[in-house]
Amino acid sequence: MKNTGSLNLEMRKKFHLSSKWQRALTAYWMIIPALILYVVLVIYPMFKGLYISFHRWDGLSEMKWIGLDNYKFVFADKIFWKAIKNSFVFAIGVTLVKNILGLFLALVVNQELRGRTFFRAAAFMPVTFAFVVIGVLWSWIYNPTFGLINNLLQAMGLESWIQGWLSNPKIALFSVMVVDIWKWTGFHMVLFLAGLQGISKEYYEAAEIDGAGMFRKFFHITVPLLGQVTAVSVIMSMVGAFVGNYDVVYVMTGGGPFHSTEVALTWIVNTTFRYAQVGKANAMSMILFVFVAIFGLAQFYFMTRNKAE
Amino acid sequence: MNKFGKKAQKSVAHLFSYIVMAVVVILTIYPVLWMIFGSLKSDTEFYSNIWGWPTNPVWSNYVTAWVNADMGIRFLNSIIVTVGTLAVVLPFISMAAYAFAKIKFPGSNLLFYFFLLSLMIPQGVTAIPIFSVVINLGLQNTRLSLILVLSSQAMGFGIFLMRAFFISLPKELEEAAMIDGCTPIGAFFRVILPLAKPGLATMVVFSGMAAWNDYFMSSILVRNSKLMTLPLGLVNYIGQHITNYPQLFAMLSIVTIPIVIAYIIGQKQFISGLTAGAVKG
Repeated sequence: MKNTGSLNLEMRKKFHLSSKWQRALTAYWMIIPALILYVVLVIYPMFKGLYISFHRWDGLSEMKWIGLDNYKFVFADKIFWKAIKNSFVFAIGVTLVKNILGLFLALVVNQELRGRTFFRAAAFMPVTFAFVVIGVLWSWIYNPTFGLINNLLQAMGLESWIQGWLSNPKIALFSVMVVDIWKWTGFHMVLFLAGLQGISKEYYEAAEIDGAGMFRKFFHITVPLLGQVTAVSVIMSMVGAFVGNYDVVYVMTGGGPFHSTEVALTWIVNTTFRYAQVGKANAMSMILFVFVAIFGLAQFYFMTRNKAE
Repeated sequence: MNKFGKKAQKSVAHLFSYIVMAVVVILTIYPVLWMIFGSLKSDTEFYSNIWGWPTNPVWSNYVTAWVNADMGIRFLNSIIVTVGTLAVVLPFISMAAYAFAKIKFPGSNLLFYFFLLSLMIPQGVTAIPIFSVVINLGLQNTRLSLILVLSSQAMGFGIFLMRAFFISLPKELEEAAMIDGCTPIGAFFRVILPLAKPGLATMVVFSGMAAWNDYFMSSILVRNSKLMTLPLGLVNYIGQHITNYPQLFAMLSIVTIPIVIAYIIGQKQFISGLTAGAVKG
């Protein structure tokens, strides 16, 4: 039979009081594996990238220090700026549509309707598919002769709307954007749904007693209380549009036609592997980082406040 | 507004909602069904019967696709990389997150925010330098490099999630375990970990999906055809062969159907796993 009284004191002495440092040591070695992996493969490459950006390098031979010249080349690179512009168009367009649609669908699903779970699952499913798979599938959906879209238009008698969805430089980017929207809207719907379900029903009931109609309730209760979720949702789609769309663009158009769908990442990868201008590519990455860091900071901020410390 | 009017308004809203839901379901599911239908059509039927399902399913498309694209090897590689990534991610993150959540030690906050910096360093920005670090480590063209890189990407966000999860577990549990004679480490393995299953499940879905579906980093780090994962194999196949579309669709289906099945079984986990952190609680 344990003599719990004195054993307690012994235990406590052994493991709690005696060793502030033993505790700290335990903590440190529990963190070290993750820390090493993180520093070597996330933090260090950031600095290495900066370092390389000051050199001319083809990836194989000696690096040659050229100071800020790469940055000058990048600023003069028309295709890079086209890629950045495309990235912005992509980002803003996709973010607007995904979030508005997502919110709309969340509002729809939030009602007492049959089949909500099935609907939620169906709408979310594309999120689980690999972007390369989606890209290849949609390339064929967009196919001018045998694809679903043009055939549908023809069947509906809307032949004049038939396009070269991916071959027309003027609309290719938008065609790719549609694919991104198709994949991710369900994700944003789920985010907004969770946000909506976090709003206490009492607010709405109180408003109804005061005679508020649908729109009044939406703008005065729903919108303000969705602030945090909206911020996170918007930031995530903006960041994703700058650094997460390599797969889909590469597979569907490779950046063409005529760089009309070239985005920041595809051009960086091209510069590295096709043109072997590794230093310049790193300079581009640094510039891209500056653009994205602003959103990253915002995400950092929104995710660390309001959370249990 | 009188009672009848209100009821009518609600019914209209509901009808409208059902229509919207139906449209969305068609838009999301039909392309996937179309992909599966297409994979079972013969060459000629693929071009002539665009909408409907295959009249005489050509199951051999799957066999040909499997063989021509070396899908067996690709599958194996994808499994190795995904399982490997999880084998690294789960222990590393659990330990670190537990330390942050439950142990008071100097530098705790600083280190935690250091990990959170990864939120500001999106994957794409460091891809090229990561490539050169991998070369420096002599790991180019290996699946191990993929495992390590994919794992490293999960550290910041994963620690953030698991720490929040551990914090939500009551402190009494470890104290009870230690009274019964466990060391803090023992308490961790025997009491906390089993209770951490939901949090771990989230990590599994999140990191597992990212690893399984990855193309970008994989294409940069692995060039050897024998080591390619499914996404790489898919793109490689397209580049190299004049496309037989039904077979291509069979490939797409082979890559996608496992995920669909897993998704149907565990949608709740998928949905909560992939949106964790963005949603409170």
